[in-house]
Amino acid sequence: MVLRKEGHEIMLKHWRILLLVIMVSASLLTIFLRPQYNGVQIAYVYADSPAKNVLQQGMIISQVNGVPIHSIEEWTSATKNISGEFKLKVNNNDYKFNLNSTGMGVEVNDVDRTNLDFGIDIKGGTRIILKPKENASSQMLDQIIGTLQTRANIYGLREIKFTPARGISGDYYVEVEASGVGREVVDTLLSKQGNFEAKIVKPVYLSGNKGVFDLGENKYDVEYFGNETVKISNLTVKMNDSFVLDNIDFEFVNVTQSNVLLFLGSAYKGNDIEMVYTDAQHSGIIPGKNYFEFYFGVLVSEKGAERFAKITSGIPSQLDLNSGDYYLKDTKILLYLDNQQVSDLRIASTLGGKAYTTPQITGSRESKDTALEEKLKLQTILRSGALPVSLETVSVGVISPTLGSGFIFSVAFAACLAAVVVMAIIFVRYRKLGVALPIALIGFSEVVIILGIAATNDWFIWGTALVLNSIIVMLAWWKKYEMDPTSWIGAMLIPLLGLLTWTIDLPVISGIIATVGMSVDSMIIIADETLSGSGEKKILFTIRDKIKRAFFIIFGSASTVIAAMTPLIFIGIGFVRGFAITTIIGVLVGILITRPAYAEIVESENLSSHKKEKKE
Amino acid sequence: MRINYKILLVIPVAVFLLSAAILINQYIQTGELLKRSIDMKGGTVVTINTAESLNIDALESQLKQKFQPIVVREVRSFKGYGTVIETSTDVKAEDILAAVKAMGIDTRDNSIETIGPSLGAAFWSQAQLAMALAFIFMGIVVFVIFRTFVPSMAVIISAFGDIFMTLAFMQLFGIELSLAGLAAILMLIGYSVDTDILLTTRMLRETEDKTSDEKIKHAMKTGLTMTLTAIGALIPLLLLGLSPVITQIANVLMIGLAFDIMNTWITNVAILRWYCERKGMK
Repeated sequence: MVLRKEGHEIMLKHWRILLLVIMVSASLLTIFLRPQYNGVQIAYVYADSPAKNVLQQGMIISQVNGVPIHSIEEWTSATKNISGEFKLKVNNNDYKFNLNSTGMGVEVNDVDRTNLDFGIDIKGGTRIILKPKENASSQMLDQIIGTLQTRANIYGLREIKFTPARGISGDYYVEVEASGVGREVVDTLLSKQGNFEAKIVKPVYLSGNKGVFDLGENKYDVEYFGNETVKISNLTVKMNDSFVLDNIDFEFVNVTQSNVLLFLGSAYKGNDIEMVYTDAQHSGIIPGKNYFEFYFGVLVSEKGAERFAKITSGIPSQLDLNSGDYYLKDTKILLYLDNQQVSDLRIASTLGGKAYTTPQITGSRESKDTALEEKLKLQTILRSGALPVSLETVSVGVISPTLGSGFIFSVAFAACLAAVVVMAIIFVRYRKLGVALPIALIGFSEVVIILGIAATNDWFIWGTALVLNSIIVMLAWWKKYEMDPTSWIGAMLIPLLGLLTWTIDLPVISGIIATVGMSVDSMIIIADETLSGSGEKKILFTIRDKIKRAFFIIFGSASTVIAAMTPLIFIGIGFVRGFAITTIIGVLVGILITRPAYAEIVESENLSSHKKEKKE
Repeated sequence: MRINYKILLVIPVAVFLLSAAILINQYIQTGELLKRSIDMKGGTVVTINTAESLNIDALESQLKQKFQPIVVREVRSFKGYGTVIETSTDVKAEDILAAVKAMGIDTRDNSIETIGPSLGAAFWSQAQLAMALAFIFMGIVVFVIFRTFVPSMAVIISAFGDIFMTLAFMQLFGIELSLAGLAAILMLIGYSVDTDILLTTRMLRETEDKTSDEKIKHAMKTGLTMTLTAIGALIPLLLLGLSPVITQIANVLMIGLAFDIMNTWITNVAILRWYCERKGMK
């Protein structure tokens, strides 16, 4: 009778296995479906590389001087003896470079073959944990991450991820994960608060002990009492005191031997900067004797420019004998970033007392590259604006990229070995290949489904899977095949979970190991409940009953695991969370999809062997 | 030949006392119950991967002249050997790398990890909370499943025994508790409860006409297969030495699963038998 049934009806009867097949296929598609390129992928371009600012991380190099490249080895040998001019084919575009003595300065990886995002502990990179130095709120954290993201974008850091995290005592952290970012970038670019201030030295010349504090329209009488005390208008100020005059912050800093009082007036702050120039006309590098000077202009607000005019009014000019230019005497404009002076400039005499809106920021470094890098960093920080609080680097991990894809291969190899061991033990115990082989297959399919869920989501694939699942479950229900609510939940929930995406790192791999182990345990319980006392005569009813009892145990232990892991999603920084999420999703996949399918396999296996016995 | 289960109970009790002694001894000597790795207390780890094994003792004594504190050990890494240099956050990792390079060792393939003391402390309190929460929630679910006090407590006691003994023997074997170890301990909660639930279900819910002895024997066959498969699957992971993280997880799980055999099939069985006898079950 059974034999006469139509093929599709038999398939539908085993609808649980059908669900598993659909989920595995959908997962394989989400993992592997992507445009494939030949070549090598750029991992990092060093600052001294001729390709800096031209090539970027993630680009794919397919040819060197016309020679096609398929692997890292071919890349290494092709670029080993290159000097002078050479050509690269990158993302199907041709680029020409001139190689100097510093070498290529481009690090490459194998091209990504999957849609899986591997963590830096597997592919190499830097993980940094930053902590706000003061108490921060979650809004502040969002603002911090926004600013950091802007800095990363402006600076050209690719593949950098910022994640907010909260410790159990309520402290906030920012987790930064990036490939190809060194500690120095973090210290000078990311953790800098970026409070910018331009101060101008304001000299007041004394005749006798009196002078004038000239702020353009307003002029104030100054009387010096010696003893580092000065009276301005009716304010008495001591050395290093701050005071406000015409809405400008001043500080009394020095008295020179030639009886000049020096004050520092704050002309511009970070929020006065309206634009940072990056074009060649307003920014660049000038080689000096044994250093390189960089400069770039900024556009400041009118208010800032007015403050500049006030502070610089009434300052006499002086001829610089070296250059033949006139500059304002006894003054400088000092630029500070986070209270550290980054540059000091003389002020051309023509600017005195004028509303000056385009001051320049300059500095010098030993080499052209470091000067370029410093310029870019300062521009980046000024463009992104200041962070609401300063950050402290509490953890830095720099992981060598050599593990790479070879590591994943080894993990897969270990998994195969483990599967062989498991199959051997199960086979020795039950003497049935029909019990042992499916355990290994289902173990693997569980790994595939977890990875498929973690892979970059693909709406189309998971949507199709959801539709197919629904059709199958409904048809099976309509045809009155045995049903249970968990399978309904599984058919709907797992494709929806597929829309999640997370990074495969070591904690996640640990989580996968944990769930597959538990899954194997559960399958042993199913096999055991079904096969136990196989000598006795059995009817269909008892097998179903036994599987039900097996599922009582399986659901029991699965719910303890889910209960134990759920609180861990909500605490902590990184590690524990990835582990907990993977374990929970793995267990869900297990109890809703894979373990029911295994029960179905073992049940039909057992029934068919029973029928054989009956016939005999 | 039936052994009195009450006499057998001597073994887990003895191991429990031994574990307590190990932890107390450790506390007296170091002021800490558990040895913690850098991730849980702060510090810097420099790992240099090389194809050949390095002379660890020579390296340590040379580095100790320049830097304090320094601990050097070797781990098998997947591409050869990893030399792990641990120090405090006051020492710059770059300086250590430079010093090692000056000894003529190729340091290009290196990894550096720095955890500030405050973050280390945060991780540690997080780890303690994670273990406590995971355990409490597991316990609640066990009570919900069985809804009887003694059998539920038996499961919880044997799970606690697994974790307690594993933590103690980690000290004995010099395994520091790291984030990876924490993951293993949390996994252990799941694995340990697995066999206990199996046992309790078979004992209390199996309706077929079997004696307690038969039920236990049946459950034990299944349970031992489960635990042995798990241990068997861990061996390749351990032998391949894929990464220190996976090696530590495998190590801790192996210890834990070994204790789980004892705690399930002696401790839990003994409590359940006593419970069934009091209830007048056969």
